Order: sequence, then structure tokens, then C-alpha cells
Amino acid sequence: MSNHSEAVFEKQPMWAGGRSPFNVSYGKLMMWIFLLSDAFTFSSLLIQYGAQRFSNVQNAVTTKWPDPASIFNHFPFMHGLHLPLLFVSVMTFILILSSVTMVLAVEAGHRNSKKEVERYMIYTILGGVAFLSCQAWEWATFIHEGARLDGNFFGITKEGYAHLGSVHFGSHFEWDKAVDRTNGPVPFAALFFIVTGFHGFHVFSGVVINVVMYIMTVRGTFERRGHYEMIEKAGLYWHFVDLVWVFVFTFFYLI
Amino acid sequence: MEFHSKPGEYDAINYVPHTESHGTKELWRTFWLLLGITILDFVIYFIMGPSGIRNVIFILFGLVKAYYIVGAFMHMKSEKINLALSIIVPVVFVFGLIWVMLYEGGAISQSHTNHSTETHTEVHK
Repeated sequence: MSNHSEAVFEKQPMWAGGRSPFNVSYGKLMMWIFLLSDAFTFSSLLIQYGAQRFSNVQNAVTTKWPDPASIFNHFPFMHGLHLPLLFVSVMTFILILSSVTMVLAVEAGHRNSKKEVERYMIYTILGGVAFLSCQAWEWATFIHEGARLDGNFFGITKEGYAHLGSVHFGSHFEWDKAVDRTNGPVPFAALFFIVTGFHGFHVFSGVVINVVMYIMTVRGTFERRGHYEMIEKAGLYWHFVDLVWVFVFTFFYLI
Repeated sequence: MEFHSKPGEYDAINYVPHTESHGTKELWRTFWLLLGITILDFVIYFIMGPSGIRNVIFILFGLVKAYYIVGAFMHMKSEKINLALSIIVPVVFVFGLIWVMLYEGGAISQSHTNHSTETHTEVHK
């Protein structure tokens, strides 16, 4: 475009048509709109989690919301140790790191450096696979301990019951001597599976998209096209997955 | 058939985005910042007991992390303000729904708590 035509471009009113008011391509704008709608979906799930948690009666044994630190306290190859929050922090670190390699791939794409885009896409894919493996382990451990989609074995412990002796429990409750824990509120396990599962599905889709982007890069599709904007769109999705994890981490593990 | 657009017209077929590398310095800075906040989350979790203030700190940290992910990693800072507002402003509705649903949940909990206390009193008469 010559300088003259750019001057004409600038003189046109912003919303009068004939130009892109957002100054991005159609594909990138639509990716943003999709991410907005996906943000609403995740919000509704997390709000459901909050509402369920707030609606549980805190001073009754069978409905007391479990303390995440007493459940998610395992770490691979360290049996029997109480290590709350450690494993999930490692997962968070992996996801942040893969976000950085993704954005480095985008930056390499801006310089049309094919080799670097390939390298950073590989790192990002590996990060995604590592995260999914961690989540698989987390789920396997949780299920092994008795969590089900329609049930929750993480009620109050025998020890906790003794400490809560002065609180009203309702008339029908008597401690069953055979078990160490009561059944807890069902939504605790169900929402854990649904929300982390939905997020894990997004990570999986992201890995598939990144693999497709990697293959397209290797085959020189973007090189022929003259720009690597496709990597940017995939990157937007990947960062969104990281963004959602920030809130899943906060609400499911920290609070 | 050859396609030529008029100057200044958005042209999806021959579109070449304006790309410019801003270097990797800011990206790495954002990475260390996110990592630092996550470590701080971890430390606060163990040095503070569970409390409302701790939850507020965690949520604020989450929002700060969200700001840096969207702003730096997703390049929202360098997008036009039109685009940024179109995406960010609708999210305000989410905060309304959070407030409503937590209020509702609390009310349900309250009504059940009152009920179970009454039952208890009756038993011990």
C-alpha cells in the first residue's frame, strides 16, 4: 500500500464500513469471541461450585465441605506423606511454562523464523502432555481413594468428629465405629470431576490444535502464506486454557 | 480470476497481518511474575490459617495473574481499545452472577442450619 492510500484509509470514519475497526483479522476476532463464550461456560461451572459450597450446612457431619488439603495431599513416589498443594503447584508451573513457550513460538512467527516456531511448538506440546499426565495421576489417586461422580467418601474424619463434639449435628447421627470417614457432600467430588475434566478436555483439544499447527509449520504452509498468524490464534486458545487453570487452582485447591 | 481490493478495504484473501516482534524480554518478565505469585500463593497457604482475608488475597492474586496472562501473553495490551473493551466488558456480568448465586447458596445453608438446630433441641427436651 502506498502512503497516499493509507492517508485515505485514515480519513474514513471508524464504523462507516470498508475498514476493520478492531484492526485484527476475522479469524483472530472470532477466536476472541469464542474465548469470551468459553469464559462464560467456565464461569457458570465455577459459580455452581461456589453456590454448592456456600449452600452446604457447615455444622452437620454429612454435609460439611471437605478441606482440600486433607484430600489432595499426595505426590508421586512419596507414599504416606502429607504434602498438600505441592503436586498441583507443579502442575501450575508446567502450564505456565508451556504458556511461555507458546508465546515464544508466536514471537518467532513474527520474525518468520520457521525453525524456532517448530522448536517452541514442540516444547508447548510436551508441556500440555505433561500436564495431562499429571491430571490423569491426580484423578487416578482421587478415584482410588473412593471418589465417584455420584458419591463422595470425603466427609468428616473420626478425629475431626471428636474435635467437633460441642457442635449440633442433628438428632440422627451416630458414629459408625467401622469407618474412619463419613460420606461427604456429593457435589464436592462431582464438581471436581466435571470442572477439572472440562478443563482437561480443553487442554487435550489445545494439544491436538498445537500438533496440527506444528505439522503445518513443518510442511511450510505458513512460510508460503507469508505469515504465522495461525500460531497466534492457537496461542490465544492455549493461554486461555492457562487462564482458566488459574481460577480452578484458586477455587478448588487454595480456598 | 484475480482479486483486487480497494485501498483501505479489509481483504480476507490477500490479508497479511502487520507483524512486529517486541522481543522476548517482557514475556520472560511476565513468566517470572506469574511464577512468583504462584510461589507466594503456596507460601501464604501455609503461613496463614484458613480465613476470609486469605481467600480475598488468593482471589486478588488470581485476578492479577489473569491480567498478566491476557495483557502480555495474549497481547491484549497492544490490541485496539475497541477490541479490548468488547471482550472484557461483558465479563462484568459474571461478577453479578457470582454475587447472586453465593447469596442464594448462603441462604439455603442458613435455613437448613436453623432447621437442624431445632430438631436437636426437641430431642433433648
